[in-house]
Amino acid sequence: MASAFASAIPYVADALVILGVFVMTVGVYGAIRMPDTYTKLHAMSKAVFLGVVSLCASSAVTGDPAIIYRAILIGVFLLVTTPISSFVIARAAFLRGERMETADACDESGRGLTRGKE
Amino acid sequence: MHEIVFYLAFVWMTVLLVVSAAAVIRLRSTAARILALDMLTLILAALLVLYADATRSSYYMDAALILSLLAFMATLILGRYYGERKIF
Repeated sequence: MASAFASAIPYVADALVILGVFVMTVGVYGAIRMPDTYTKLHAMSKAVFLGVVSLCASSAVTGDPAIIYRAILIGVFLLVTTPISSFVIARAAFLRGERMETADACDESGRGLTRGKE
Repeated sequence: MHEIVFYLAFVWMTVLLVVSAAAVIRLRSTAARILALDMLTLILAALLVLYADATRSSYYMDAALILSLLAFMATLILGRYYGERKIF
């Protein structure tokens, strides 16, 4: 049983690599497809972070303890810092008054950043 | 077979790197450019993680960790400077 699990480990690593690359592809496609900064934030920050975490899990499956500890460290660090950097970028875009380009966007701050009505 | 998966992953991640560098250059909004720069550095860190996985050496994981830390600091400083014209 243990040997069967050990022989399945490289396939698990391959599946995690393919998953991570696919998720990062979705994030980059969202970066060039979405119309404004606020919707780009949805696609890019979360998807790229999840891709890096999946690649870290792939290297933690196959590697020795030195690689496992560093992979866990990278994952935890990105888990802490990705919301902060997304918040800073969204706040910068809001303070500089970048417009919301989607059709039915709703700006509840009263500054009228939406493009359509009012 | 596993080597083929890693080679294809390297090629595709390089394509993503080129696309995000073009996004940094071509996007019109500055906040979206800062976001694309953050994404480009995270893709570089992911390439380093993939390389450490392929060669079984842990030194590249250190480089990926430092690169993600620098990406966070650069995004924080650029975002605060663009948003309110001061860093601290």
